Amino acid sequence: MIRMFRSEWMKIRRSVIWLLVAVSPLIAALFGLFGLKKGGEDFPWIEALSLMSVLHAMFFLPLLTGIYAALICRFEHTGGGWKAILAAPVSRTQVYVVKFVIVMLMLAATQLLLLIVLLLLGLSHGSAEGIPWRELASSFIGGWIACFPLAALQLFVSVAFQSFAAPLAVNVVLTLPNILVANSERFGPYDPWVQPMLAMIPRDDTYGYGAFNLPMETLFGVVAGSFVLFFVVGWTYFARKAV
Amino acid sequence: MSANQELILETNGLTKRLGGKPVVNAVNLKISRGDIYGFLGPNGAGKTTTIRMLLGLAKPTSGTIRVFGKDIRKERLAILRKVGSLVEYPSYYGHLTATENLEAVRRLLGVPRSRIDEVLSIVRLTKEAKRPVKGFSLGMKQRLGIATALLGNPELLILDEPTNGLDPAGIQEIRELIKSLPQSSGVTILISSHLLSEVEQMATQVGIISKGSLIYQDGIQQLREQAKGRIRLGVSDPESAWKLLLSCGLPADWDHGKLSLTRTDNRTVAEAVARLVEHSHLVYRVEEETASLESIFLEMTGSEGSL
Ligand SMILES: Nc1ncnc2c1ncn2[C@@H]1O[C@H](COP(=O)(O)OP(=O)(O)O)[C@@H](O)[C@H]1O
Ligand SMILES: [Mg+2]
Repeated sequence: MIRMFRSEWMKIRRSVIWLLVAVSPLIAALFGLFGLKKGGEDFPWIEALSLMSVLHAMFFLPLLTGIYAALICRFEHTGGGWKAILAAPVSRTQVYVVKFVIVMLMLAATQLLLLIVLLLLGLSHGSAEGIPWRELASSFIGGWIACFPLAALQLFVSVAFQSFAAPLAVNVVLTLPNILVANSERFGPYDPWVQPMLAMIPRDDTYGYGAFNLPMETLFGVVAGSFVLFFVVGWTYFARKAV
Repeated sequence: MSANQELILETNGLTKRLGGKPVVNAVNLKISRGDIYGFLGPNGAGKTTTIRMLLGLAKPTSGTIRVFGKDIRKERLAILRKVGSLVEYPSYYGHLTATENLEAVRRLLGVPRSRIDEVLSIVRLTKEAKRPVKGFSLGMKQRLGIATALLGNPELLILDEPTNGLDPAGIQEIRELIKSLPQSSGVTILISSHLLSEVEQMATQVGIISKGSLIYQDGIQQLREQAKGRIRLGVSDPESAWKLLLSCGLPADWDHGKLSLTRTDNRTVAEAVARLVEHSHLVYRVEEETASLESIFLEMTGSEGSL
């Protein structure tokens, strides 16, 4: 398993993938810089979190999940890498799990970078005290956990299709409705693609999306259930795939 | 045939059905330790499909595969540890250098890092080692592919058309490279090709596959026997000449065009000519014709001209 990780690291450490990690945090930084009311005495942490994470959680996080998954499969598809890996003495389950973990690590890096941007913004306001660590942690970690099912489905699609465009198309089609679904009390809670948003944006927030007034357990059930389903389907497919 | 030697690879009734038809049909391969096994067949015969199954990349529809005496279904990882392969076209990561490509595979295999320099020098890529592979020529990529296959000190090397798409100089280079391997490292090699001439000089055993079925499997020497020459006879009336020769008990062959003798010893030839002249046939030419191995191969696989 460790060997497998070190081999994967070799392939992604010099990849364009790293540029993408910075995209969403930078855009969020602009939102934070220009969107917040200036001149207040205390930095409005929760408001800044809402403002900076709304676009990130609604679109960038789900889209990036798909793009990361597609990218780490792309060089295997184009260069015939699957044959080389699977003809090496490693089990297919190992290969699949490692690919999945890498997608999740890239997402963790993205979340961490956004958190750092938010903290820098707040600190530049001089608000070293009163950082709402609990809220921040639950928002960033929650948003990351909510990406598990998305990563599982996108990895499945990326492994299955040779083309780079196909997984991205699936990704966009599933993510775009977020803007509508998030407002729906009926569908919002059950759409895995909305979960990062539900998890990241503070619950007492002023935007008042329809799906927000649901018990945490329901949301957790949706995330865990869809993750298990997508992961098992993808992994079973990969285990049997002829390459 | 090295029948008393240890079998490194053995398939039994290996079959793969794709889209309803058998692409590989009841193939029984037998490869002994130290063999250089030329796996021949025209394009689309099922070579790559067979090789994929040997490596566990695709599952057989039916039949068994044993490598090093182990069943691939039960001990795939143990087998793959001792097998190096290059299937169809070389695998590589374009954005990495040759060394980095080898390093990514080396980490999976867990062999010492010094092995990278060794295999690079075997395929003579040491000078290009620090260049991104996307700028490599096809021949260099093939050589890198062979280097990758050699990385884990394999006991069995499986090379699927390693010279495909190369120019004659590149083909020659790869051939020299492969010929030099078994002496230096004691490996058993399975090498596929659609050209007999390409493996003829290095193979010790030959398996010929056509439309999914293995139609020949024996030593290259035995194939050469079959290619022994015949005597072509140019006569005025080949058909009646053929009947005459047969009636005299001579081994004549007539393919509705050319008349020939399938034995080439002096007595047979002399007697045939005497008989023909005796019966007033005009004998224009008596010439020896050595069938090339290639033409035997073409005849066997039923494919004309270019493969
Ligand atoms: N996925 C597939 N579905 C249906 N037929 C296939 C598939 N893959 C290969 N074939 C067919 O199998 C035959 C053998 O292919 P292959 O093993 O690549 O031949 P070779 O390597 O000898 O050129 C070909 O006729 C090809 O068209
Ligand atoms: Mg082939």
